[in-house]
Parts: sequence; structure tokens; C-alpha cells
Amino acid sequence: MKARRRALVRPHVVTGGRAHPSRNIFDLVTLVAGTGRAAAGLSPEKRRIAALCRDGALSVAEIAGHLALPISVTKVLVSDLVDSGHLSPRVPTPADEPSKIEILQEVLDGLRARL
Amino acid sequence: MDHTLLTAALACLAAGLAAVAVLLLRQRQITARLRRRNDALAYEMRLREDELRHLVTTRLPALAEVPRDQPVTVPGPLHRRPGRADELQPVLDLAADLVARARTQAEQSATATLRAMMRAVQSLANEQQVAISAMQERHDDPAVLEDLLRIDHMNAQLGRRAQATAVLSGSWPGQQRSASSLTDVVRGATSRIRDYLRVRVTSEVGVAVVSRAVEPVVLALAELLDNAARHSQPSTPVEVNFQQAHNGVAIMIDDAGVAMDGEDLERATRTLTGRRRADVHALGDPPQVGFAVTGLLAARYGFSVSVDTRSPYGGVRAVVFLPTALLTRLPAETAPVPAAPEPPDRTRTTPGGLVKRRRVSAAPAEQGGPAPARPGRPARDVAAGMGAWQRGTRSGRATAPPDSDPPASEGENSRP
Repeated sequence: MKARRRALVRPHVVTGGRAHPSRNIFDLVTLVAGTGRAAAGLSPEKRRIAALCRDGALSVAEIAGHLALPISVTKVLVSDLVDSGHLSPRVPTPADEPSKIEILQEVLDGLRARL
Repeated sequence: MDHTLLTAALACLAAGLAAVAVLLLRQRQITARLRRRNDALAYEMRLREDELRHLVTTRLPALAEVPRDQPVTVPGPLHRRPGRADELQPVLDLAADLVARARTQAEQSATATLRAMMRAVQSLANEQQVAISAMQERHDDPAVLEDLLRIDHMNAQLGRRAQATAVLSGSWPGQQRSASSLTDVVRGATSRIRDYLRVRVTSEVGVAVVSRAVEPVVLALAELLDNAARHSQPSTPVEVNFQQAHNGVAIMIDDAGVAMDGEDLERATRTLTGRRRADVHALGDPPQVGFAVTGLLAARYGFSVSVDTRSPYGGVRAVVFLPTALLTRLPAETAPVPAAPEPPDRTRTTPGGLVKRRRVSAAPAEQGGPAPARPGRPARDVAAGMGAWQRGTRSGRATAPPDSDPPASEGENSRP
């Protein structure tokens, strides 16, 4: 992956100098969905996240990709938005029945076959 | 006979005496004239000596000490005599010329050295920023990120200082940027000052700055913001507002510090409008960089800066006016609506109550998308779905985000 352009707005301004997300529930694949709350008064990055997630759920990794921001910075923003009620987290729902070794094996096989 | 002889002798004597008397009288007159002349010459000599001493001890040193950018005023000759020109003026003129030439040469070489050194510092700061950005991408640990943010912040300030010095020594700001929204330009400037947390951007306008003016405007704004933050209490905000006018946009920076008094204001105005020379040799001590850089950039890129109004909070209001020539509109970048329209049959949740994911613009269509969701999905479907999901995540990260630019990032180091 080629080095991104050096961003004009540096991350410390984007997060207001904070590096620790207010809640520690996010990883790359955590899904967040918009709650439809009005995004007025938010910073441009947060508004973009809110707009991206308005009609469905996106993972933290995808949001970071769209905004061209580091994942860790994105987590700070997303957790702010969850706090302010603009986003709601969707922890990946486990399958209906508890996982078994065979299922995991099948998942692995499936992934290998496709990637 | 005797009598005759005596008479003749007497007559001769009388004639001789008369001649001697005449001679004596003449001699006396000549002597007096010579003495007068001698006195005059001695006087003249003394005058010249005085004049020469005056030249060496007073006039020439005064000439050498004339501050730069001021008209050469040197004390005149000691004695002015009517009808006679100052014979030493040519000496003085020659010396003045030599002083000026030596000064110019010294300044030129110092400026060139400074410019070259600043170019090196700038490109190092740029490289470091790339490295920091890469680390920010790579590390997911908030503690590491915190340190990286701090380093990034310091590096941004370092880069700004180097850039400002380079501009003062006659360089261009360098870096190519793509056209950026005014809000981003102000926040970009905010990124580069120490007290960035105090800057508040309250309003917003839908215009952007054209590519070639982004970096200079960012640099000028950064200097003004830094000035504003530096000259006001640490607890007060520095507020940025935009005001759209019919031939441009005004960016207003208000601080709650102390207003400038008349003399400062006058000097600042002259610097900002380019009426006062601004380069590395004319900054004073301690150097007053901010206004000088801003004035230079404004003159070079065709925007204007003024600081002669008061802010509503009692401090200074700096106004940067960007004419229409430097403004543009960003194509659709501000429109945050995701591109792909949703097929009508999809709802936001699956029948099983799971959230349905939407693909937003970036990812290309995939072969074998997620299996249609049914209640009680079999394990294979779950696996297929997860596989697709992971691919999506990966491609979402790998694909260039919609607003990023073609690889202008290489070779964007400082340019002379």
C-alpha cells in the first residue's frame, strides 16, 4: 500500500489531541451504524463518518479507509460519535449455535478457497 | 674743492640713505604680506587637518553605521566656507558605495546559505512526517498513538518554522497540495501551531482554496494563528470566522489578547502590505517573523492581510482576504452521500435481525457476494459471508479513498 499523501489536517487536530478512545470496544471489524441523529456541530471528519454510516453499518476499518485516517484515530472519532449518540455499535453477532471445531475448520477452508 | 667734495659725499649719502629707507620700507611691506599669507596658509592647513580628522573619526564611522534601509545621513564638514564645495565629498561617496556593495554581497551570501540549509531542514521535516504518518497507520495502541500525535505536532511546528525561514530567505513554500476546503485549510494551519486546542472554527463556507495557493495560505494563517495564540491568555480561545464577500472570502482570526498600540500597528501594517522590507536581514532582534512571512506570501500570491481592526474580545482581529481568483469549489467532495444506490429489496436488517451491511462506493463489485440471508444460516453460508466480508474490508482499505489524489506525494519536497 503506497504511502498516503501527507494529510493537510494532522491527526492531533482531528482528534483534539486525544489518542485514547472513550470506550474500548472497537476493533477493525466492529460494525457501527448511524442512528440518524442530526450531525450539525460536528467536526468535518465526524460529519463524514455520520454520513457514511447513515444508511447502514460499516466497520471501523472501512471508515478509516474512506477517511484516509489511521485506524487508531478513527477509533477515537467513532467512539466519540457513539458517546454522542450519532452511531450505535453492533458487536458482531455470533452464529446461532455455538461454534464448533468443524465449523471453524469449514470457515477456514472457505476463506482459503476464496482468498 | 673740499667743500664740493663734501657736498657730493653728503648728497651720495643722502641718496643712499633714501634708497635704504625705501628698500627697508618695501622690505617691511613684503614681510608683512608674507606673514599674512603665511598665517592664512597655516589657518587653511589647520582647517584641512581638522576636516580630515573629522572625516576619519566621525563621518566615515557614521557612514558605516547607517542602519540598513535608511537614507544615508552623515554629519557634514566641520567648516563650511561659502563658495567652496566639500572637497572630501567624493571620498565619502566612494566609501558609501563600497559599504553598500559589501553589505549587499554579505547579505546575498548569507541568504543563499540560509536558504540551502532551510531546504535541508524542510525536507527532513517532510520525511519525518511521512515516517510518523506511517507509524500512525501501523500502530494500534492508544499509548503509542498518543506519543505519535505529540511528535507529529512538534514536527509540524518544526516544519512551519523551517518553511517560514525559507520564505523569508526567498524560497517558495514548496509543497504541492490539492485544492482544499477553507475549513481544512484553517485546520491545516491549526495543526502547525503550539496551542492548536485553543483555535475554534465556528462558521463554515462551501468554498475551497485552489491548489497552488493552499500551502501559502496555510502558512500565512498558521503564522497569524500563532501570533494570536501567543499574544493572548492561554485560557482564552482564538476564534476563526469566515465571511463571504462578493469578490472573495474573508477569514477573520480574533483573539482576546491585548490590542496593538499605534506604533506597532503602523509597523505591522507596513510589513503586511509589503511597504516595509521583509527578509531575514530586517527582522529585528528578537526576530518578528510572523507578519513578515505573511506579508511576503500575501504579496506573492495575491491575497491581502490586515490587522488594524479590534476583535470583539478586545484583542486583535486579523483578516485574511482571499480574492475569487484563489477560490474554487470542490467537486462533490462535500457531498457525503454514498454513491451506490441501494437495491430496493434490501432492508436494513436481515430477517434474522442482523444488521445488513452496505457497500459504500469504494469497493468494486465482487464475484459471489454474501449468500442471501435466511433464518438459521448453515455454516457454509456463514463462512462465505465472512470471507466476503473480510475481502470487502481489505479492499476497502486497499482502494484509494475517493478524495485522495493521484500520487503527487512523491517529489513534493521543498522547491526553491
